[in-house]
Amino acid sequence: MPLDAMSDISDDALLVLFANGDRLAARALTLRLTPRVLNHAYRMLGNAAEAEDVAQEAMLRLWKIAPDWRQGEALVTTWLYRVVANLCTDRLRQARPVTLEATAEPVDPAQGPVARLQGADQEKALQQALARLPDRQRQAIVLRHMDDLGNPQIAEIMGLSVEAVESLLARGKRALSADLIDRREELGFADE
Amino acid sequence: MSRDQDDIRALDACFEAARAAPLEPSPELLARVLADADAEYARTAMPPARVQPLPRAGRLRQAIRTLGGWPAMGGLAAATVAGIWIGLSPPEGVQAYLSQPDAAYIVDLPPGVGFDLTEGTL
Repeated sequence: MPLDAMSDISDDALLVLFANGDRLAARALTLRLTPRVLNHAYRMLGNAAEAEDVAQEAMLRLWKIAPDWRQGEALVTTWLYRVVANLCTDRLRQARPVTLEATAEPVDPAQGPVARLQGADQEKALQQALARLPDRQRQAIVLRHMDDLGNPQIAEIMGLSVEAVESLLARGKRALSADLIDRREELGFADE
Repeated sequence: MSRDQDDIRALDACFEAARAAPLEPSPELLARVLADADAEYARTAMPPARVQPLPRAGRLRQAIRTLGGWPAMGGLAAATVAGIWIGLSPPEGVQAYLSQPDAAYIVDLPPGVGFDLTEGTL
């Protein structure tokens, strides 16, 4: 079966195909899921090299579980995000001080409102603000606003009720706003 | 525009900027992930260890198998022991039968003579 034809096949069906020796299924899953786990890990850790390690380890665990995967019971992505979260938590515990590559980068106060930050700078500012959030709030925010998951799936990934997820998201967004508010002008959102 | 709305707009713009610039997995990472998949598949799909052929059966084993295996041999052994036991120490009824004093008669009958029974004697 050509790789393109696999785009319509669900993750768990691909996983079963892989367990049965279909190398193309492994390739399709790699291309489909590695970017997701990599970016989730990056948003959680703020370090691209560590995120790569976590992504590889999470995918390896996926290959290992493939022969025992029970199709239809859970979403592969739910399982995978849970694995990534655990791996990130372990790393954050091991290296609590400065994990962000970008946090040390100072903002030049001389730039002022004239040199408003856009695009990549907004992304960088967000990443710095995310790093200052408590782990659970950060995880909920990343799953909701970066990975674009629904609250029920986030609740399943985090082992919480949907209400608890909503509460985490609300607190996380408030904290992010408060963090970014001082940089409103740099970010190009000065009061109009 | 209210301050709160402005905050939400700023935050949403940051989320959008972050989503628009995802970290792309390097070809090396993808290659490592695929190599892991291959290695894991090779590990779990290893052919089962070669089955050792059964050792060639000896003559006794072949004979036992011909007779029906150990259950049949058990019955045969029990019958043999019972026969020997009866031979060495016969029960009373058998003893009486074996030690009958009367010898067997040899009757030489001329042709034409028979043991015809008269009708009505039995």
